[in-house]
Amino acid sequence: MVAVFPCHPQPWDMFMYNSRQALLFVLPALLLYVAFVAVPILQVAAYSLFSWDNGSIKAFSGLGNYQRLTSDGVFWTALGHNAIWAVLTLCFPLMIGLVLASILAERSPRTIRLMSALYFLPRTIPLVVAGIIWGWIYNPIFGLLNYVLDLIGLGSLGGAWLAESGSALLSLNAAGAWTFYGFCVLIYLSAIQSIDPSLYEAASLDGAGWGQRFRFITVPLLKSTTLFLGLYAAIEAMRFFDLVWVTTQGGPGYDTEVLTTHIYKTFFLVGDFGYAAALSVVLLAIVLTIGGLSYRILSQS
Amino acid sequence: MTRTSRVFQHAVLLLFALYALVPVYLVVLASLRSEADLFSGPLTLPWPIDIGNFRRVWFESGFSQFFVNSLMISTGSTLLVMLTAPLAGFAFAKLKFPGKEILFGLFLAGLVVPAPSVIVALYGDLQMLGLLNTRIGVILPQAALLLPFSIFMMRTVMEDVPDDLLEAATIDGATLFETFTKVVVPIVKPGLLSLALIAFLFSWQEYLLPLVVIQDETLKPLTVGAATLQGRYGVDYGGIAAAGIIAFAPIVVLFLVLQRSFVRGLTAGAVK
Repeated sequence: MVAVFPCHPQPWDMFMYNSRQALLFVLPALLLYVAFVAVPILQVAAYSLFSWDNGSIKAFSGLGNYQRLTSDGVFWTALGHNAIWAVLTLCFPLMIGLVLASILAERSPRTIRLMSALYFLPRTIPLVVAGIIWGWIYNPIFGLLNYVLDLIGLGSLGGAWLAESGSALLSLNAAGAWTFYGFCVLIYLSAIQSIDPSLYEAASLDGAGWGQRFRFITVPLLKSTTLFLGLYAAIEAMRFFDLVWVTTQGGPGYDTEVLTTHIYKTFFLVGDFGYAAALSVVLLAIVLTIGGLSYRILSQS
Repeated sequence: MTRTSRVFQHAVLLLFALYALVPVYLVVLASLRSEADLFSGPLTLPWPIDIGNFRRVWFESGFSQFFVNSLMISTGSTLLVMLTAPLAGFAFAKLKFPGKEILFGLFLAGLVVPAPSVIVALYGDLQMLGLLNTRIGVILPQAALLLPFSIFMMRTVMEDVPDDLLEAATIDGATLFETFTKVVVPIVKPGLLSLALIAFLFSWQEYLLPLVVIQDETLKPLTVGAATLQGRYGVDYGGIAAAGIIAFAPIVVLFLVLQRSFVRGLTAGAVK
């Protein structure tokens, strides 16, 4: 971009308006953002330093709420599940997205449009509804998954997917992937389409097959796109809530508990405002760290 | 390319199309069947089509009201975003003012802030403002949480507006605001449409905020309504399926009709 618009000095600078007017442009957004995002974040940080009783502050407790984190097994379990979720997302939807996009890129524009719309369709469905649908697919009595396994003679593999501790998180992740891989296809597609086609032509002339072009052109040139999607997936893995809440609410036991559901339960069901605030601060610290790293890495590449 | 590898590639494309479509098909199927033969018999659509499930949830389970609430909440948040984000995006792209970098950084940080992390404070704040259990109480934080992405996207869009045009307008004596409304807005219309679609999509899908803010049955949006129906009458599968379809059909239609704008918005910022 920089090459196309040599920006310094900008001609627009000569007609600069006084800064008060420019600030007026930012002000409406800033007010809304400060009131409903920035201030609540500061409040949460402050709340975490107190012990609470029935929704009102009881006493200053310093880092007491944070000390509790170390002995809160559910917190560490939940954090582990968030991490597993991130890794699973990197393994499945991202890779599938890359493969599908690079196959699709060589098809006609009509096919590209149709197929990418199909892949993206699940993302337009609210996660609440997605959770309900997948809950049925995994249902041990009438679910489609067990039915299909029965049909192909693998009925012994069937089970109560979301109700067994071994399979609950994995099964849930497959539902999450369902809503995410289409997004990966879209992002990868637009990145592939910006790769110089002559690279592919030259490789083809040299006798490189699809697999080789994929391995030696597509994958290396899309490194920064993969990085973007990976970091995006990591942040989403920390943030997601709806899918778990409508299907398992963190169960069975704590087998699908994640940080957001732990916060929700601590706040609304237990009513422990101080500890819920401390958990929120931890969540914010993690996503802001990943976000900050992303910004650094992506603006370098 | 060899024949077999081409066939194999087609198979992969189709397999994942099935992955996308089968769950959707299942819910459509469930919504059109009576409770008795819901999950038995062949997996083909019944004929003649029976829309009894839709009629029941729409008229008896309150989904006509939930639909109106979703529409009001999503429209409200989208409007708020459209009234604030393009202005700010323009300022960040084209104007110079003190504190610009810091302010932009402040918004940028918000890109990662999840609703669950602020709910602990937001709940009390809304209660204090008397906004708990109102649609406005969902609209305001919803729009605020959408702002970082929206401003980021708008800045990218506004950067492509040629400086010459702004300059010409200034020479013609237009004020900054006039320049924005008469010169900038017409140029970035496609970007604005993309933003509106995405803001609407995200607000329509939001679950946690309305779940927390709204208790009143008559104010709930579709997402909360569908989850409630699933929790309370967990066995009315036909009804729940119909409710689910009412909850996603408008967005699916919107997406299919305006696919280009959606895709432009979703990939904005990601690929640059």
